[in-house]
Amino acid sequence: MPKIDAPEKIFFSLLGKEMSDEELVNIFPVAKAELDGHDRDGKVIKIELNDTNRPDLWSAAGVARALKTYETEEIRHYDFFSTSEKVLPSAERAVIDDESAIGIRDFSIGFAAKGKKVDNDLLVNLIQSQEKLCTNFGRKRKTIALGIYRSDLIKYPVHYAAVDPDKTSFVPLGMDECLTLREICEKHPKGKEYGYIVSDKPRFPYLYDDSGETLSFPPVINSARIGAVEIGDSDLFVELSGPILDDLLLAASILSCDMADMGFEILPVKVTLAKDTKYGREITVPYYFQSEAKCSVKAVEKKLGLAISAEECVKALRRMGVEATCSGDEITAKCPPYRNDFLHEVDVIEDIMIGYGLDNFIPLMPHDFTVGRLSAAEEFSRKVKEIMVGLGFQEMMYNYLGSKKEYIERMHTDGKECVFIMNPMSENYEVVRPSVIPSLLESESVSAHAVYPHNIFEVGKICIKDDEDNSGTVTKNSLGFLSSDNQVGYNEASSLINTLMYFLRKEYRLEAVESDPRFIPGRAAYIVYDGKRVGIFGEVHPQVLESWGSEMPTIAAEVDLDSLI
Amino acid sequence: MDIDVKKLHPLEVKLLRHVSLEEKIDNERLINELGYKVGQCNQAFSWLCQKQLLKEVDRSVKVVYELTDFGRAIEKDGLPAERIFTFLGEKGPHTMPEIAEALKMENSEVGSAFGALSSKKAVMLNSERKAERVSDELPDDIKAQRALLEKALADGELDDAALNAGEKKTISQMAKKRGASQSPFKLCERESVVYELTEAGAEAKGELEKANITGEEFGLLTPEMLKSGSWKNGTFRPYGVDAPTARLIPGRRNAYGSYLQWVKDKLISLGFEEFDGPLVENEFWNGDALFMPQFHSARDIHDVYYVKDPRHAKRIEEPWLSQVAAVHENGWTTGSRGWGYSFDHEFTRRQVLRSQGTVLSAHQLTKAKVPGKYFGIVRCFRYDQVDATHGADFYQTEGIVLGDDVNLRNLLGLLKMFAEEIAGAEEVKYVPGYFPFTEPSIEVHIKHPVLGWFELGGSGIFRPEVTKALGIDVPVLAWGLGIDRMALMHLGLNDLRELFTPNIESVRTRRGN
Repeated sequence: MPKIDAPEKIFFSLLGKEMSDEELVNIFPVAKAELDGHDRDGKVIKIELNDTNRPDLWSAAGVARALKTYETEEIRHYDFFSTSEKVLPSAERAVIDDESAIGIRDFSIGFAAKGKKVDNDLLVNLIQSQEKLCTNFGRKRKTIALGIYRSDLIKYPVHYAAVDPDKTSFVPLGMDECLTLREICEKHPKGKEYGYIVSDKPRFPYLYDDSGETLSFPPVINSARIGAVEIGDSDLFVELSGPILDDLLLAASILSCDMADMGFEILPVKVTLAKDTKYGREITVPYYFQSEAKCSVKAVEKKLGLAISAEECVKALRRMGVEATCSGDEITAKCPPYRNDFLHEVDVIEDIMIGYGLDNFIPLMPHDFTVGRLSAAEEFSRKVKEIMVGLGFQEMMYNYLGSKKEYIERMHTDGKECVFIMNPMSENYEVVRPSVIPSLLESESVSAHAVYPHNIFEVGKICIKDDEDNSGTVTKNSLGFLSSDNQVGYNEASSLINTLMYFLRKEYRLEAVESDPRFIPGRAAYIVYDGKRVGIFGEVHPQVLESWGSEMPTIAAEVDLDSLI
Repeated sequence: MDIDVKKLHPLEVKLLRHVSLEEKIDNERLINELGYKVGQCNQAFSWLCQKQLLKEVDRSVKVVYELTDFGRAIEKDGLPAERIFTFLGEKGPHTMPEIAEALKMENSEVGSAFGALSSKKAVMLNSERKAERVSDELPDDIKAQRALLEKALADGELDDAALNAGEKKTISQMAKKRGASQSPFKLCERESVVYELTEAGAEAKGELEKANITGEEFGLLTPEMLKSGSWKNGTFRPYGVDAPTARLIPGRRNAYGSYLQWVKDKLISLGFEEFDGPLVENEFWNGDALFMPQFHSARDIHDVYYVKDPRHAKRIEEPWLSQVAAVHENGWTTGSRGWGYSFDHEFTRRQVLRSQGTVLSAHQLTKAKVPGKYFGIVRCFRYDQVDATHGADFYQTEGIVLGDDVNLRNLLGLLKMFAEEIAGAEEVKYVPGYFPFTEPSIEVHIKHPVLGWFELGGSGIFRPEVTKALGIDVPVLAWGLGIDRMALMHLGLNDLRELFTPNIESVRTRRGN
């Protein structure tokens, strides 16, 4: 979940008033936000945002806009958006994408802003918005990289192309020397972090102005001159690059609205794309590309379980910043320019729900009658547990992930049937357990101080490979038990199995285990039920006990319950 | 008086009743007058001194020689020298080996006994190298040894103080302090302690007499007493009812398991049917079927565990695969515009460890009845650093409700019921939430009598992109409850790792509230 730090001054000024923490806690849910903390010394409000499909809310301006609209029921109109029908003048400001970038990083778009002096709070806030958009929405710059530049130093049009990484060089932000694009990937901290996005391409993305001066090497780093925005600047150029045009347009819309809310005048930029898109080859940014969303009042009523009029729906949407009209049963919602989350009518319905106020919905129980029922495996497991407890055993519960050492090496098995994790976080958790017995032995290794005898069991899941299955694995419900004391042996284990099977009403026979490194040779047996081996038990081999650091004779058993149900 | 005389042991009672103030009491008296064994004397003295009913007035060490089993045997069968002397008298001269064989003695034993006899001129070797008796009388020292053995027979021991100088000299050759099994006597230094009643002891004695407690009351009721009816001839010794108890280790359910079972039973009672499934899933069910776009950040390599081998499932079931793929690409027939990207058919087969319980709700949709209510408490796996609030694997409690006209208000009703029935909530609050697979989405916060306000769970109405692609045309309420927090409180724990501890002692002693 994205978290942001909103400077009090900017946040309250955007909100148009100050609010106490309690008021914030109460109003935040309408933006699916939570008050994560309030740093009174740093005068920063920490906010956590829950809706990962609403990047417009990941900034102080976005949250403030949502709250203010909800309270005042007034929607702010932004007049700097071009549409397919209406193209706003862009003067000399232009970006020209070159065909060489197709297949490398297809698009670069931009807009400009002026009229507000950048101060420290504003700069920090801008950088944060940029980070959230690029990291969370732009998948760590893979699909969106965003740069802010000093517009007054740029000679338009700006050119975007893919160039030879070894023959193109400039002085990157944060360094003094001139480096080639490839050297930046190797030496610059940002190059090391983001260089991988393009480093396997034959040519690297490159942004420069009409006089040939570098703006940046997207998605990695700006230049040290045009790309170094400082306090006191007031003319800015914002550029976004990436492979998905809609994501870039939305990010540009979000940032332009945020900047407009903070007092900037937004200046359109004409972008010439290098390939055909659903919007054509030429597009003026910020650009309103969203389509209308429709939804019937009947659908709203059915989903929310409440009689509601079309007018109430429109009013509720208005509080959510969504302009809507109604005609008969049909509501037409116009998606705000900074949003693109109306995939289905249910998305509109949720906005109506929030706008109408969740407190206005009275909880009601579903009236359908249904029969409650445990799974067959759970019912059977409970029988087994009851018998084991009656036999004097303590039920244990273990984690299902463990190490190769525990599940394989200490058991002296080959581990061929084990299911491994490809991307373990640590070697302590890299195998799904193939048996309950190592879990029980782990208890022995940490419980030498506990009064003997140790009689423990678990009914739980194991997972092993199985070529027959679609997944190549099978998960089983398994009973494992273990008994550890001065004098325990095969006979006790056999008696326990006999008692268990008697009360489960399962006829079984035993077959000597030929070789299993976990048990003492000649002192282990397979349990055969219905012609199939369904379990094993016996005296645990001293080499296994030694590996686990246990110095007490131990018997162990494991039974596949799924085969008995 | 702060001693409850009813709690005194019969050994204590009999002692107290037997003696009076200022009388000397020691082991010997108890053995002779009350028939106590040495061990019983020690117990009685030690318990009474602890209770300050007796006091020690004198302590001395006395030396005694205990007759050993070996000593008893040679007293009966004869000392080796005696036996050889008698044998030679009756059978005439014999060689040493012949003697050893006839008397079933070791050669060395015969040798040393012969040496002792010959040094006193009682026997000698003749010209044929045979031993021959040359005196009619046993030497004095052998006679002295015999006399001591016989003297010791009565008490099984001899008091050093009662021996004369000659006897002391003889016994010094016959006794050992340690390793005395081949010696006739064992030398013991016995501490002899003399006690007297204290004032409190005398008082207790009075109490015992008043209460008519004799120490002869019955202890254990035995089958023999029942058979013979002897229990009718006396009274039973009262026990101290608040005596410390012995520890028992019973067979027991796991406390966390019992809690989960309780939750399951609650849900069953509310009309839910249980579902379950395998631990290994694929991207299709773990994410795609839940309308999470394949590029969603929660599907990153840093959030989900991938299976190493086999990397991919063989196939994804139809028609679900085609329908879900179409939903992602363009919304299919669900009325959605979809995510608008090209669905990756290889990625969807990639295998993962189930990362959320909702996966099983999705599976259930393909076989659900309408109306229907289903739930599962299932193990899930997350790519998280293991700490007090994150486990490598953990249980999630999830469920769905299908019905022709279930709606948001029903969802709120359901959440309220869970909050009250399962969490014991005092107040319930709903706030809008976000989950990729539900719209609208609701979080339920509750005010718990102990924990205060916290988020109990997340819920919503499944998106049509989820339900329709899996063959369901009615609304489906979906919910998940975070019950571990309540489980921890119930068990008095504050670390999630403790729920799955392998520590036997900790599990044995754990109990729910």
